[in-house]
Amino acid sequence: MNIVIRHGLPLPVAGALPDGEFVPTRVPRIGLAGADYAGIRPEILVEAGQAVASGTPLFRDRKRPDIVVTSPSSGRIEKIEIGPQRRLSLLTIIPEGEDAVRSDLAAAGTPAGLRALMQKAGLWPALRSRPFDRIPAPDAEPAAVFVTAIDTRPHAPDPAVVLGGLEDSFARGVSALRLLTQGQVYVCQGDGVDLVEPQDRVSVVRFTGFHPAGLPGTHIARLHPATSSAPVWHINYQDVAALGQLLARGTADFSRSISLAGPGTQQPLLLRVPIGADLHALSRPQLTPGPKRILSGAILDGREAQFLSRYHLQASVVARVEPRARNWLIAALGRASAPAAFVPTAAVDRALGPDMPAVPLLRALSIGDADRAAQLGCLQLGEDDLALATYATGGETDFGARLRAVLDMLEAA
Amino acid sequence: MRGVWHRDTVSWIIVSAMLPVVVAASLDLGFATMQRFGVALAVISFWQGVFLFTRAQPLSPIALVTAFAVAVLASGTTEMWQIVLAASFGTVIGEQIFGGWGRNVVNAGVVTLAFLYFAFPEVLHTGTGPLVAIAAGFGALLLLVMGVLSWRIAVAATMGLVLATFALGQDPAAPFLEGSLVFGLVFLIGDPVASASTRMGRWAYGALAGALVAIFGWADAGIDAPQAVVFATLLASLFAPLFDAAAVAVATRKWRGGHA
Repeated sequence: MNIVIRHGLPLPVAGALPDGEFVPTRVPRIGLAGADYAGIRPEILVEAGQAVASGTPLFRDRKRPDIVVTSPSSGRIEKIEIGPQRRLSLLTIIPEGEDAVRSDLAAAGTPAGLRALMQKAGLWPALRSRPFDRIPAPDAEPAAVFVTAIDTRPHAPDPAVVLGGLEDSFARGVSALRLLTQGQVYVCQGDGVDLVEPQDRVSVVRFTGFHPAGLPGTHIARLHPATSSAPVWHINYQDVAALGQLLARGTADFSRSISLAGPGTQQPLLLRVPIGADLHALSRPQLTPGPKRILSGAILDGREAQFLSRYHLQASVVARVEPRARNWLIAALGRASAPAAFVPTAAVDRALGPDMPAVPLLRALSIGDADRAAQLGCLQLGEDDLALATYATGGETDFGARLRAVLDMLEAA
Repeated sequence: MRGVWHRDTVSWIIVSAMLPVVVAASLDLGFATMQRFGVALAVISFWQGVFLFTRAQPLSPIALVTAFAVAVLASGTTEMWQIVLAASFGTVIGEQIFGGWGRNVVNAGVVTLAFLYFAFPEVLHTGTGPLVAIAAGFGALLLLVMGVLSWRIAVAATMGLVLATFALGQDPAAPFLEGSLVFGLVFLIGDPVASASTRMGRWAYGALAGALVAIFGWADAGIDAPQAVVFATLLASLFAPLFDAAAVAVATRKWRGGHA
């Protein structure tokens, strides 16, 4: 099936990614930020100084102990920082050695066995459930699973190139995902050859178009809208390949093929690094002169962070623009009580991938009207779906954060 | 990373689209236009300043657009205190109390002009000639290219105007030679904030506004008078939220009931 997304905007981003291999790169430190696991209230299972192997459980959810986050690399725990409300703030690991936890694959062919395997091996957090865009409950059943094998963000690595050589793992992972659902598994990819053979309950869907064409929110709203009673899960292509490798070898590979690009680097790089890789160390030799912001994720929707997020497949470097020192009176006059309203232009109409009324939805989000936003379809969306809307309204309001606030309100109701 | 479509950038785009009309109107209506523009701008800036200090609402360059719309479409007003009164009413009640430009329901210029026409009916306002119409056409092109003026509203309003003119048995080409009418069509009816904001809503809003211009023009004020386009915009923008609500109800059928 081919779907052309007519919305979207071409983004003015200079430079192209190089051709060639993803260079395996060692990093001096790996960090797992609690912000990546916002739905989890963690119970820490390790202590500082302890040696861990790749796949050793690091922490699990207090309420749902089957949701486990495991170490992406073998090494030694450096420090564990606990933030307010005893939530995890940051856990860092100094990588050393090549130890890996082996999983028992005997029951992996059954639905219950696969769930248990993914949960023990730490691949469960790779799944996220819509509505609300959170890690799904261990016993939840999705109406459909979406494999996102297309990435239209600026400077994102090409999934077809990343999966070159991993075709078998990817296909094995896609087949296994059928055990999680009674419904369809949709493999959403860009133009090109099929990444997997279509089979029973697996459909390959091609998406073409400008940026939001590659976001799971666009795919889900188009193919299988999510509702509270019939949630839909999505997972990115690198995690599916990791699942395939786990099923073949018994050890999970927590490496990511990422791009490191953006206007602040001398030249874009393709790297293969573990989840949580130290982006400051990776980018330091590449920086152009001047103050910089290092983002985990794309220029558009990335978050300033030292460590590569669980869900990001790229890192970006942009110039840090310090606000100009202005006369105190002019500065005080410019400080508005409310952010400037957005003006509905053609760019705003094109900013959302799903076919939903963009201006009414953004207005509902900007005043925090949860019921209205739900009626307009915000349950289909995640924070990344609104990054383009923030861009198209001049960056005055962070609609991703507004959406998260509204989703939290709806989830608690 | 942020795009260029910030509120203030959009208002500067509208101001630059207005520049050809400024030249044309000065040639057509003479020095008095600039005088009215100056007074209206001073009054609107004063009220923006009041709301800046009392409500921390930042200033907006849209004051230039509102003031110029008043200057062109209130061509007959000689008394400056009338403009002071009307512009105060228009900018405060039409825009500032809602939170400034972007949060208003009706265009501040339209409110100002409607106040002038209602409060001082004895003043005769004349329209402008084809020169202003051509200049406004160039402005419309810029706004269409920048995506500030919705092409759906532009097409629907033109079609509504032509069809209603035809139905009334008049010459469908005649309205497009009237400067004030084309100016209002582009900058008042096409105002991105006060018009409808959904796809179907824009078609309905544009068609209604165009048809109302024809009806008011041919049957009441006269097609060359600026009143027709101002009252048509006022009425149509009051209907815009209704059109939007209907369009949203249709467009969100598939999500409705999703959140039990």
